[in-house]
Amino acid sequence: MNQRHGLTKFVVLIVLLAMVFSLSVYGATKPAFNWKMAKGSTIKLMLVQHSIAEAMVKKIPEFEKLTGIKVEYSITPEENYFDKVTTSLNSRMGDMDIFMSGAYQLWDYAPAGFVEDLGPYLKNPKMTAADYDIADIYSGAIGAMKWDLVPGHKAGTGSQLGLPMAFEIYSLAYNKRVFKEKGIKPPKTMDELLAVCEKLKEWGGKGTYPLAIRGARNWGTIHPAYMSTYENYGAKDFKIENGKLVSLVNSPESVAMNEMWVKLIKVGGSPSWSSYTWYQAGADLGAGKAAMLWDADNNGIQQNWPGASKEAGNIAWVPQPLPSGASKNNSNLWTWGIAMNKASKNKVAAWLAMEYFTSKSYLLYASTVGNAVDPVRASVWDSAAFKKKIGQHEGYSDTFKATINNTRILFTPQPHFQETTTEWAANLQDLVAGKYKTVQEGLDDLKKKTDEAVKDVVIK
Amino acid sequence: MNTKRLAVLAAAGRNLILTIWAIFALFPILWMVLCTFKLDREMYSTTFFFHPTLDNYVNVLVRTNYFKAFFDNIIVSGGAVILSVLVGVPAAYGFARYNFKSKEFWAGQILGFKFAPEILVVLPLFMIYQKLHLIDTYLGLIWVYQLITMPFLIWVVRGYFEDISLEVEQAAQLDGYSWYQVFLKILLPLVKPGLVAAALLTFIFAWNSFMFPLILSGFSVQTVTVSSLKYLASDTVHYGQMAVAATITVLPEVIMALAIQKHLVRGLSFGAVKG
Amino acid sequence: MRMQTESALSDPISINKKSANIPFLVKARPYFIIAPALLLTIGILYPFVMAWYYSFTNYSFSSPTYHFIGLDNWIRMFSDEDFWHAFLVTSKYAILTTGSEMLIGIGIALLLAKSTKFTKFLKVTLVFPLMVAPVIATVIWQLMTNNSVGIIEKFLNIFGIYNFPWASSANTALFTAVLIDIWVYTPFVILLVVAGIQSLPKSPFEAAQVDGASPWFTFRNLKLPLLKPFLYIALIFRLMASLQESAIIFALTKGGPGDTLMNLSITAYTKGFQFMKFGASLTYILFLWFVIALISNFLVGRWLAVQKQAAGN
Repeated sequence: MNQRHGLTKFVVLIVLLAMVFSLSVYGATKPAFNWKMAKGSTIKLMLVQHSIAEAMVKKIPEFEKLTGIKVEYSITPEENYFDKVTTSLNSRMGDMDIFMSGAYQLWDYAPAGFVEDLGPYLKNPKMTAADYDIADIYSGAIGAMKWDLVPGHKAGTGSQLGLPMAFEIYSLAYNKRVFKEKGIKPPKTMDELLAVCEKLKEWGGKGTYPLAIRGARNWGTIHPAYMSTYENYGAKDFKIENGKLVSLVNSPESVAMNEMWVKLIKVGGSPSWSSYTWYQAGADLGAGKAAMLWDADNNGIQQNWPGASKEAGNIAWVPQPLPSGASKNNSNLWTWGIAMNKASKNKVAAWLAMEYFTSKSYLLYASTVGNAVDPVRASVWDSAAFKKKIGQHEGYSDTFKATINNTRILFTPQPHFQETTTEWAANLQDLVAGKYKTVQEGLDDLKKKTDEAVKDVVIK
Repeated sequence: MNTKRLAVLAAAGRNLILTIWAIFALFPILWMVLCTFKLDREMYSTTFFFHPTLDNYVNVLVRTNYFKAFFDNIIVSGGAVILSVLVGVPAAYGFARYNFKSKEFWAGQILGFKFAPEILVVLPLFMIYQKLHLIDTYLGLIWVYQLITMPFLIWVVRGYFEDISLEVEQAAQLDGYSWYQVFLKILLPLVKPGLVAAALLTFIFAWNSFMFPLILSGFSVQTVTVSSLKYLASDTVHYGQMAVAATITVLPEVIMALAIQKHLVRGLSFGAVKG
Repeated sequence: MRMQTESALSDPISINKKSANIPFLVKARPYFIIAPALLLTIGILYPFVMAWYYSFTNYSFSSPTYHFIGLDNWIRMFSDEDFWHAFLVTSKYAILTTGSEMLIGIGIALLLAKSTKFTKFLKVTLVFPLMVAPVIATVIWQLMTNNSVGIIEKFLNIFGIYNFPWASSANTALFTAVLIDIWVYTPFVILLVVAGIQSLPKSPFEAAQVDGASPWFTFRNLKLPLLKPFLYIALIFRLMASLQESAIIFALTKGGPGDTLMNLSITAYTKGFQFMKFGASLTYILFLWFVIALISNFLVGRWLAVQKQAAGN
């Protein structure tokens, strides 16, 4: 296997060299970037159901006309999407050329050699149109998909593993009708939030509760509000010690944060918190069941379009509550981007598609005609059309602007992200269920499991 | 008098229990159909009283390629059943009629692999399929679907063959029929009820398969189970549209079940219809 | 059922007899007609062998190379308390679902035996839940049990029960998953038992009635032995499937809350596909396969025995 892999590497290298060579020859005769340069090829896109993908599907005919490239695509439900991507990448057959991905998944895929580094394409003027303007993409978003492949090193430098299309930051959405009726102001600190939760218990009768928040048993519970607050308490996930990753989940900062979090869920959370994913949390705010939602900004907005839900039009946004003493509002981020399969046999055509679907004009289309409400490009946020569309949501734009500069990936990249965060979520469920005597005891247990999961990671 | 009253009471009790069970079994399906007429915004705010709409149907049937998945599903599930019939019926006959070395062992093997966890099979299969270029093809899915359909079919039909008396075959042979003529003209009609019932039941199992099509297809071949769940998107959830997709997915099965309802129960009696 | 078994053994087309006189082609015929079916199903044997092979390696989706690590995966699995937990969850789930489905299925089938308009209607319609894909059935139940607007929540509100936790509490998650499983698969048992009841010979029951035997006696000593082959088939198919159930649990809670519903299938799936430790996940699934093979072999043997018994009656 080792040998075979070496051979594959060698072949890939030759192909790459040949490609670069032919490109440079091509470039010598025709210096300008040309959308038609991969005419006649066919590429396969693997998509997950999402409004940004919906917009992509609508624009495919236009892309095909512009480039002469034929596009095939498949859409998979999100629950099983990455299992399918993993299987396909692992075969190294290049059956798909481009796949949608988040940053965290790329931490698994890239060290295995599944993902093409896009840096050289971006730097090559023959491959990237002059008006692409990468500086227009928020640094948090583009940096999220950059990593030097060394576990423990922060995201933001190294290979460009993907290009972001849509992203999300975390903020507190609240029902302003309810807040006005009860004479409550949106909370700015964690203590205020806890007090507001006390006041809003069963605020609208039986079955209603104060704060919707995710709690299901997967990474989806950890990365939004939880991770942002974790950072705001000054807690870190890992440190590097003697070339090894060491979990810091049982640090005093983490214990303080988790104690607060457990209290918050017990006082303010839904009784079915532990099964809550994005859907349930957002839907409860829209249905007038929860008075607040601490989650992605674009989760609440789906409930606030006219006619979208019972409480549509009543939802407003403020930045996340902070622990007392903290001043910087750090937010983690999630981004849906596109990445290229290293085993792709149509890399030029694939790159053109990636460029097209992250371009200014496409993202403006996806955010104004389509419903992708968290564009990664500043130019889209500044466009009149998008401002008009987003202006009907009170505080949405302001909250975004107040948070974006401190928005970045807060996790330490490492290839066992899925495992460690799944254990983390399961442990949080146990903490809330009272399985441990103290929070410290639970987190000590989690540290053991996390250290075990990452023990094979060697940092050179 | 007393016995009569007891009988009435028993009938009432029986109907009561059956009614409770029927509500439990059928209400969720009614609920699903009800959801197809609900807008997403009313999904979480209303129960019975809402503004009925056909929007979900329009969205699923007109605006997406749901029908492609629907017909693909018919091709692969139907194909698997046909293949199972072609290959499985002779095998069932072989198991029923002949006596050979380690017969029960081989019969057990066919069944045993039906019970192999799908997760165990799907990943190695993915790798092999890729080498054979069977990924994302009708043939590839039909081959793996027959894992679901064939064992049960062989079991049911084998029982039928075993119940046909040998004299029937011998008489036919004396009339000058060759063995395959006996098989086609005499035996096949006799096992038909079991065959039809088993074919329908296995069709249902294949039709609802999720894991295999998820991993082994997607671009050029799509199936309805995977497509139905697509409506639970990662940023918005369209329960109504999912309900439409699921409801239409169930339709062909319901129609077939109604069409062969007589066979369905009788056919599963493994040939042992007596008295 | 299978009354002809005895004569089949001595039948003229049986290949065991007078083997010298029988041409090779006739002799080989049973193998020829069974071979295609065996080849198609056992084509799966190759993946299966690969699975064993990989279970002795550190094969991982996130690393390009792998090598033999001997029994490491196996030792680690058996010394992992999560494995024993998963084993327990698997057993509990299989016993609870199969047990309830058999009991309810038999009960309902017996009640359906009396032919009335109502039972005729039910015999057709009660099959419907079987037609809904388990994943979708789970989503429907999630909607119905939703604490905001779920119809069942509203129903429970009448009795003063609010916010019943369903799948979100460790105390009720197993119950919820089992309930959905019962909903989907009980019709399968009902169908088989109804078929069995319809195939019962009439004469012994008439005789019993004339003799004034009690209904319980008739059931215990006449009906049950004759129904046994059907019950075994239902039991075999249900038990084997519920031991490896993953669709319902995954759609419901992905194994949560905590690790309440992490059975062997879900643990293997999570380890293999999400944590990308394919080699290590295969030990879980091969162990599960081994358990399933053991039980199914035993039950199939029992089935053959009771079938002979029933035929003897």
